[in-house]
Amino acid sequence: MSREPKNSFPVPRGPHPQSEGRGCGRKKDCLREAQKNEQRDGPTEPRGTYTVTCPERECREREAQKNEQRDGPTEPRGTCTVTCPERERREREAQKNEQRDGSTEPRSTYTVTCPERERREREAQKNEHSDGPTDPRGTCTLMCPERERREREAQKRLHRFEMMPGMEKDRWPRADPTRTVKEYSRPAAGKDATRPHDLRPPSVLLKTVCYLINAIALSPSLQPWTEVYDFVFDRLRSVRQDMIIQRVSGPECAAVLERIVRFLLYASYRLCEEPLRLYDPRINDTHLQESLSWLLSCYCVGHHPHQEEFQALSLLYNLGSTRALQHALELPEEVRAAPAVRLALSVNRAHLERNPVRLLRLARRLDFLQSCALHRHLEACRRHLLLLYSYGHSSRNCRFPLRELARLLALEDAQAASLCRACGVSVTGDRVSFSKASYVEPPPGERQSTRSYELVDRKQGDHSLALVLHGSP
Amino acid sequence: MAHITLNQYLQQALEAIENRDGSFCAELLSFKHPHVANPRLQLPSPEEKCQQLLEPPYDEMVAAHLRCTFAVSNHDFVEAYRCQTVVVQSFLKAFQAHKEENWALPMMFAVALDLRIFANNAEQQLQKKGKGKVGDMLEKAADQLMACFRVCASDNRAGIEDSKKWGMLFLINQLFKIYFKISKLHLCKPLIRAIDSSNLKDEYSIAQRVTYKYYVGRKAMFDSDFKPAEEYLSFAFQHCHRSCQKNKRMILIYLLPVKMLLGHMPTLLLLKKYDLMQFADVTRAVSEGNLLLLNEALAKHETFFIRCGIFLILEKLKVITYRNLFKKVYQLLKTYQLPLDAFLVALKMMQVEDVDIDEVQCILANLIYMGHIKGYISHQHQKLVVSKQNPFPPLSTVS
Repeated sequence: MSREPKNSFPVPRGPHPQSEGRGCGRKKDCLREAQKNEQRDGPTEPRGTYTVTCPERECREREAQKNEQRDGPTEPRGTCTVTCPERERREREAQKNEQRDGSTEPRSTYTVTCPERERREREAQKNEHSDGPTDPRGTCTLMCPERERREREAQKRLHRFEMMPGMEKDRWPRADPTRTVKEYSRPAAGKDATRPHDLRPPSVLLKTVCYLINAIALSPSLQPWTEVYDFVFDRLRSVRQDMIIQRVSGPECAAVLERIVRFLLYASYRLCEEPLRLYDPRINDTHLQESLSWLLSCYCVGHHPHQEEFQALSLLYNLGSTRALQHALELPEEVRAAPAVRLALSVNRAHLERNPVRLLRLARRLDFLQSCALHRHLEACRRHLLLLYSYGHSSRNCRFPLRELARLLALEDAQAASLCRACGVSVTGDRVSFSKASYVEPPPGERQSTRSYELVDRKQGDHSLALVLHGSP
Repeated sequence: MAHITLNQYLQQALEAIENRDGSFCAELLSFKHPHVANPRLQLPSPEEKCQQLLEPPYDEMVAAHLRCTFAVSNHDFVEAYRCQTVVVQSFLKAFQAHKEENWALPMMFAVALDLRIFANNAEQQLQKKGKGKVGDMLEKAADQLMACFRVCASDNRAGIEDSKKWGMLFLINQLFKIYFKISKLHLCKPLIRAIDSSNLKDEYSIAQRVTYKYYVGRKAMFDSDFKPAEEYLSFAFQHCHRSCQKNKRMILIYLLPVKMLLGHMPTLLLLKKYDLMQFADVTRAVSEGNLLLLNEALAKHETFFIRCGIFLILEKLKVITYRNLFKKVYQLLKTYQLPLDAFLVALKMMQVEDVDIDEVQCILANLIYMGHIKGYISHQHQKLVVSKQNPFPPLSTVS
């Protein structure tokens, strides 16, 4: 019974095949040489010397990967046509010379007056000083870069809106190139997000946004809308990311951002009644504010036809913000005189003067999207009205007609009654009794957001949602 | 000073440093001093000369300062700002090495002030060319000043006379100026806290304290804390030296709206003295309850008010104006049960557009809520019933 020790490692027998005839393995040799150079010259940065669009090696690798996916892994194929590879021959020769003559200085082999590398570097530096560092420019013409589409398809990470129709239930659905959209990926150290193949130029980004709105957000057949929202939200985030990397600005940037802002505003209203696990208004708000402030800073340069619309939307969405109001007051005369901006300013003034009756009355004059923007502030305005009236009408014999109150609040009678009850205002039959002692602010957890027929829904009317989201031309 | 040679200048600098003469050395580094106009000192690369005579890091600091004078003489403020950054950085190296001594504080004041000014000028230059983001350079300057501030604030070992903490308030004032310019007022809070918890806060020079209170008062105004704002700005106004007319006027621009909101109207004499007649119409409108005049006055001087950032606060005066107007109605009708219609008529007379009885009720309800009127509205009888005792309390007694 042979007693072999457990966990015994196979002991290498004989010399290493590659070091046959040489005293030392090739890798060690190269390493030593590099170390020697480093000691002498200092660490050198790797310098790019590729003169083609894609490094030779990467091209070959990709090709190999592609072949591998198709045919299965292939064995490496030899291409050396002489008995000894050129590189090894030169190295051995250099080593032999070194041993004989001592280490030799690197020999200059440049035949022009200035090394190519240095000339290119200087040129790049000069361009940098005059134009600013050059921004990455995207070259991807599809909504999703090929590499990502293939990757996600292989890893089964496609969204069901991106699969070939009919394959959603398959075990391995294929990607539909006309429906796959680049997803948002968090920037991370080591992840190069600036490869031109992966970036979409502004024209493609605009097409992508239009596709997302027309084919996804407005589609009557895709349900539930919370899932539609999640998908569109994520893909729009990736669009913004591409724009940031390429430092897009000007009218192209504005065109994309305008649609994004309209979509997020509409979504903030449409999903306001959804539970937190399906829709988080705060996340929507963060991204909406980012996009809105980026859009407004685009407007600072040049002329933009839709500027008034969005200045007004910003004022309404940011009701009560002194910063937004101050910004609006500093706008040029023509913009401030536009009807949309004037109306938005009046709404803000009514809020500043603490006149909720006036505010709610002015709110009736807003159009659908403006009402969506204002909507999140309506609850607080209504509560404020009840607070003021609790003090102003506080008397023992107070009997305020419920119908009147509902009209002021722009609510149905029943809704007005339930709001009163939530605020401690007593309602008996069709009369409300205000009393300053009884008003209470409902705790934040119990404040349920609800859609508003009178002030919002009614206004959509005959306008198609497409017109709302794309804006008038 | 305008004619000395480079050698003489460097000699003076060396002596000042060796004798620890902070004030004189500060003059040699300050752009308010005439030596910056001396062409013999405006050199693009004085490093060698400086290294010969001065010890590091002073050699770097003075060399950068001279490069800065060269840049300024070419009107290149972007380059001047960069040089000044080097001045501040090298100064800080030296300053940090001063253990338990603060003779270099005047130098810090001089270089910090110049840094902020150059950042301003550089930004303006870039804006004209259409490059550069607003606030970029100022923010970087603020970071530099914060580094200086940290050196001062963390000086716990030295005794009171030698402590670097005497430099804190000056730096804070410079930082306030930057933060107000770039509209990042929330960054002022930690600085205010630092001063509030310091035991030197009432020992600093009156000039620095006036500037400090001015900015803190303005911040309180924007946070709608009108009582503290009034305190700070009144202190600043009273203690500001009477020869600094411009500064007194600036303080007044912010003090007036706050006082008006608390019910104290300025006299015409005061407005004339400080050339602030823009407030004259506003004042008259508010005290008479004349909404029409108020709207007109605000519209007429809109640009001025918006630029100063007080337009929105003046709009709040509308509430006070309503109160004064309605008080007149009460005085005219001489009854405790005032029909709501009367108020509507008064508003229509003031040409307040598209107001109806519902809005009147709301305005009245607001005044009752704020304590400007003692009474209640009876919706059934469409009347405002006011208290028999002091139905319109004086404005100064209402919060």
